[in-house]
Amino acid sequence: MTEIILYQWMLISGTSWPLLLTLAGFAVAWWAYIRSDRASLLHPLMIATPLIYLSMQVIDLDFAAYYSGNGVLNWLLGPATVALAVPLSQQLRQLPAMFKPLTVALVLGGLFATLSALILVKLFDLSDIVLLSLAAKSVTSPIALSIVEQIGGLTSLLAVATMITGLAGIVMAKSIFHFTQLEDERWQGLILGVTAHAIGTAKAFESSPRCGAFATLGMGINGILTAIVLPASIGFFVA
Amino acid sequence: MKKPLVGLLILVLFQWLGEWGVKVLGLNIPGQLLGMILLLILLSLNKSLLPWLETTSSQLIRFIALLFVPITTGAFFLGPVVFEQLPQILAVLIISTLLAQWFMALIINKLRSWNERDT
Repeated sequence: MTEIILYQWMLISGTSWPLLLTLAGFAVAWWAYIRSDRASLLHPLMIATPLIYLSMQVIDLDFAAYYSGNGVLNWLLGPATVALAVPLSQQLRQLPAMFKPLTVALVLGGLFATLSALILVKLFDLSDIVLLSLAAKSVTSPIALSIVEQIGGLTSLLAVATMITGLAGIVMAKSIFHFTQLEDERWQGLILGVTAHAIGTAKAFESSPRCGAFATLGMGINGILTAIVLPASIGFFVA
Repeated sequence: MKKPLVGLLILVLFQWLGEWGVKVLGLNIPGQLLGMILLLILLSLNKSLLPWLETTSSQLIRFIALLFVPITTGAFFLGPVVFEQLPQILAVLIISTLLAQWFMALIINKLRSWNERDT
């Protein structure tokens, strides 16, 4: 128990001025995102990170110093993961009415999203470290991050992979729904949540609160299931 | 000002509980996730903590992208081994997301047609 508290304290107390760089970059990105009426491709991370990278080159700051200077933000990722329980508990009440079809679609869909990525990584003959980093790409980022930390992937690659997955998911979902004639917004929400996690869920809330509620459910339960299944079975895929 | 701080304290307490539980029970899942599951179970049984948690959790989730800025910036420093595989990585992400969405839509359509036949 004391180790855990000491580790948390280390994370917070590392915070110093590079935090300002992050906040400034994010403020600019958030402003552009809102100004563009929340255009998907202007996602705050897409703007903030290259800006910060360029500033780091200009002031000659290396990544290790930058990263450890942002301690408090990294520390907050823990509580943010636990915080997902709140919206999820509010949506779980929807579950009993459609319990069986919902569970089947969720479990098979979540499994397929991860398995198809792992098989494609093998087909393209990519390295094991890439496989370990991409394994959790369709899971909501705070849960995905803790999974990838546990199985030993590159967290920075995972962070970019989840962002790209989410963006690709919301861009393609419309055509998929049209092509498969899936019009029920509850099911559309579930698919967005399972395959495009938080980015998909935000998109689902733009359609309707009901669509968003099912996306929240899909994202949350898929996250829990993947976190339980993946660490135990990933050994099967790496040499 | 009091409520958000109490909310954060509850979240941190559950995170510790999860990390400690994973260690003690020897579970192979992330500690924070066990913390989230424990809080989820508590909230399903008893809603009295909910008003304390609402502000903190909705703000944390709303600005989660900010928390990911440092880690995502790290992607620019991943090195040549990863950069060489970038086109394939992009293909993996896009194709598997497309397949998963299509597959889920098919399953759902199947399940719904079975449901209609039953009722």
